[in-house]
Amino acid sequence: MKEVKIVSKRFDIEGINHIKKAIEHGAYSTIHKMFDKDPKTIVDEIDKSGLRGKGGGGAPTGAKWKLMLQDFKLPKVLVINCDENEPGTFKDRQIISKDPHLLIEGIILTSYAIGANDVYIYIRGEYHQWQNILQKACDEAYLQGYLGKNILGSKYRVDITICKGAGAYICGEKSALLESLEGKRGHPRLKPHQKEPEWYFGRPTLVNNVETIATVPFIVENGADAYKEYGTSKSPGSMLFAMSGHINNPGVYEAEFGTSMMEYIEYYGGGIKGGNLKGVIPGGASTPILNATEVAKAKLDYESIKELGSSLGTGGMIVMNDSVNMVEALKNLLEFYHHESCGQCTPCREGTAWVDEIVESMLRYSASYNSIEQLLQIGQTMNGKTICVFAPAVSGVIDGFVKKFRSEFEEYLRGVCNE
Amino acid sequence: MSFEFTKEELEYIEELSQRYPSPKALMLPLLWIIQNRLKHIPTEAFKAVADITKTSEAQVYGVVTFYTMFTLKPTAKYHIQLCKTLSCNLCGSKELLNLLKERFNLLPNQQNGDFQLTLVECLGSCGTAPVVQINNRLYENLTPAKLQKILEDFS
Amino acid sequence: MSSKMVEFTVNGKKLLAFEGLNLLKYLLDNGYNIPHYCYHDSLGADGNCRMCMVEIKGKKRPQIACDTLIKEGLEVNTNTPTIKRLREEILQMQLRNHPVDCPVCDKAGECYLQNYYMDYGLYKEGKHKKQKIKKSKNIEFGRNVVYDEERCILCKRCVRFFANITKTNELGVIKRANHSTISTAPNQKLQSQYAMNIVDLCPVGALLSSDFKFKQRVWFLQSSPSICHGCTKNCNITIDYSSTKFQAERIYRYKARRNEDVNGYFICDEGRLSYKEYHTNRVTQIEYKNSIIDFKEAISKIGIEIFIHKDIVILASPNLYIEELESIIKWSKKLNARLYSPLECYKDKEFADNWLKEELRVANAYGVMALEIDTSTPDISSDTLLINFDHKLAQDINTLHRIDFITHSINSQGLILPLASWVQSSRHLINSSGIKQYAPKTLVANKPILTVTEWIEAIGGDI
Repeated sequence: MKEVKIVSKRFDIEGINHIKKAIEHGAYSTIHKMFDKDPKTIVDEIDKSGLRGKGGGGAPTGAKWKLMLQDFKLPKVLVINCDENEPGTFKDRQIISKDPHLLIEGIILTSYAIGANDVYIYIRGEYHQWQNILQKACDEAYLQGYLGKNILGSKYRVDITICKGAGAYICGEKSALLESLEGKRGHPRLKPHQKEPEWYFGRPTLVNNVETIATVPFIVENGADAYKEYGTSKSPGSMLFAMSGHINNPGVYEAEFGTSMMEYIEYYGGGIKGGNLKGVIPGGASTPILNATEVAKAKLDYESIKELGSSLGTGGMIVMNDSVNMVEALKNLLEFYHHESCGQCTPCREGTAWVDEIVESMLRYSASYNSIEQLLQIGQTMNGKTICVFAPAVSGVIDGFVKKFRSEFEEYLRGVCNE
Repeated sequence: MSFEFTKEELEYIEELSQRYPSPKALMLPLLWIIQNRLKHIPTEAFKAVADITKTSEAQVYGVVTFYTMFTLKPTAKYHIQLCKTLSCNLCGSKELLNLLKERFNLLPNQQNGDFQLTLVECLGSCGTAPVVQINNRLYENLTPAKLQKILEDFS
Repeated sequence: MSSKMVEFTVNGKKLLAFEGLNLLKYLLDNGYNIPHYCYHDSLGADGNCRMCMVEIKGKKRPQIACDTLIKEGLEVNTNTPTIKRLREEILQMQLRNHPVDCPVCDKAGECYLQNYYMDYGLYKEGKHKKQKIKKSKNIEFGRNVVYDEERCILCKRCVRFFANITKTNELGVIKRANHSTISTAPNQKLQSQYAMNIVDLCPVGALLSSDFKFKQRVWFLQSSPSICHGCTKNCNITIDYSSTKFQAERIYRYKARRNEDVNGYFICDEGRLSYKEYHTNRVTQIEYKNSIIDFKEAISKIGIEIFIHKDIVILASPNLYIEELESIIKWSKKLNARLYSPLECYKDKEFADNWLKEELRVANAYGVMALEIDTSTPDISSDTLLINFDHKLAQDINTLHRIDFITHSINSQGLILPLASWVQSSRHLINSSGIKQYAPKTLVANKPILTVTEWIEAIGGDI
């Protein structure tokens, strides 16, 4: 097992949250050299590195940044997505609590590269403790002259504002996040007809995940090629993968893309707790579940997981042993989706409630004989017919559970009259 | 009952408003100020929020009811938020719920003396499941015994 | 939208349209029946109802037409089996918690949900959920609007009306997921003078007018296009009336009618409710000094009055049509009478706003000005004969020698002759922007009432 320390290089250092300690260990070193560079070269370097967004979608970061390089009438904005709501995902929190200055360094580099002066970090409302750590780190960075009007005596300004969410999963979707940041209900927006940046109060905006931004300092310092040394050709670099559920050592550990999932689980997780492996949800609750045979084949990169009909998502794995009742597990997730649907599009608003209800009636042994078909059918209606990808994700979750563990679902229909 | 922001709050809001391109963006920050002070957001406060953010009271109402952390009714002194999503569920949140039900006579969405229980969706601490957030503090790697100790220390 | 014309196909038929035009707008304007709820011409696309899905060549999945722009070579299919099934599935979702209480719903007959169910639904029994979520009904929103949460499909047209059109944001979506509903702020009512437009906008039975509620089933109503006579804006309306056999005709409501040059899609509430004036206080019989006389007697009385008076003043209402005013002008010349149509008394500063409500609360004031009729107030001496064609000022003039052709009763001791109301007559009006519009005759009273032109003809004037 090859250990990688790109984002997590300073995680284990005591007191790293204090800027002095962080600087001792190399934080902000790229900022001192930053002004010698043309912002465009930073964008090109990121593009060359093949860095992919770590928030779940895995879209190329460079392409997103390049959209910001045109001339706009209004000032540009950088928004950091720290609305980490995806069940099974807790990596952004680790970055903030274990090395907040890495994130701030990444923010300064990114905003310089794209030419944004105003940065908003949207952090989920439940993260009270981590919000305080982040705020403290920002305050220190202001005092040290890394943030504010004249960064290190230059004419360049970067201001970070930390904005607190208030408990809405959908605000992790970038356009819903921007709606929320504009003080509205977090309803995702219709997708634009051509490639363009996001918009915050009419200002061109780049939205990036915390981990993506935290990777930027490494690439700027060591170059794209150094980053590409890790990972696979299509998924270069590394990612903070996480494990939770039935695992001996749950937590967040960095690994390069392409690592075998089973090896990762054994090496860092110390194996399955309390039984044999039954399934793994690979990248946060919204990715279709993998059964034990698929897990044995799975590699932790976007392409390999996609081949298995799921997706790498946020890399937050939920591991389940063979004591788990899959119908109950699906019910647990459907309750989550039912609760978190923003209620905008008909298929999602009604569909999430409907599937939740069907699985509930299964668990009460009162479902109708065609419930399984009905579940899959409703899933199909929800797939690809809504503004955002929330409903399609639910559809994938249902498909995964029902198709891979069908016999368990049928168990609940036994004895139901066939008419 | 009427609601007004205090002088200190207004000064802070003024400072905050410099950071955003539009007063509309102050919506969530203002609601947090109210919620932190009163432990809920009274409907009487909608007007004050609408006035500063240049929105309408109906819009404020829509926002308050959209986000689960905002509440229209006052919460108890100790607001126990038990995570019930998958990872915590796999690691024993049900046992914690049973403890709260049986030992502390707490049912979801109900208040009992100084305590109030809400079942919440993922708190983003799956690696240290099961977790409970009491007011603003997160308690991780819980067992029924640990939770019992924590609650008994409160009362 | 560019000014470039592009060729595209719909269901295999080649068509031309401007590049960048909204596909759904094009399809609806050109007679294609595409189910939709949230899209409205005045509000644009919101993309939430997902009903207007069509298949587009090259796209893996069906797309919503309201968020598709027309471009060269676009190939659209609106009626494939996939699309039909999709509409059925989405309808099924909308109906899941809908109470299906059409028999007691006022929107029945003009409800999109009902119409589409007849087109695409018709599921077998058992497909509907047995236990439906109960929500509140009959919530008073204020300004004659009542809301039924159970029937609402959350298309947000009403919310967007107050957000984009009036900019007052009086309604909002509250709560989340399938608990979402529409609401005003707590303990508040709607304030907008245009609030009742959301009843027109609502595609289902969620928003109803408490004024029309339970009055008449819509399939008993007949509709006629017309022009509102509430002010000089001349908003286009539809008059819904019933003409059941053996019953007097009755107007039940006015609805806004689209005319982008005049009122757009909306009308004010006051104009909407002004239909009530048609029925109240109408003059139906010829009277002289408070006793009923017959037609012949009336005609001879008019002849005598005209003969014995040298000084005649004619007051013509600025509510009359252009052609009617022209007849009056001709007749006044023949009689050598002084013709006036004072406008001052129709002014209402408080009524006016900067949208659809205008200060002069009379329909054809600009027609009067165009015909160069004197709009000052006439001097009337004790020898003057006053011939009044429904002018508001006449009720304040105290004179014994008077002939009143009126629609609504006033306090007069002279000769009173019933006049057809504007809905019982037809011709042209000119509005404040100089737009000349035609208002067709809508109602025929059971007992016919003469119009201005017919009266003048009967008296023997040239028309």
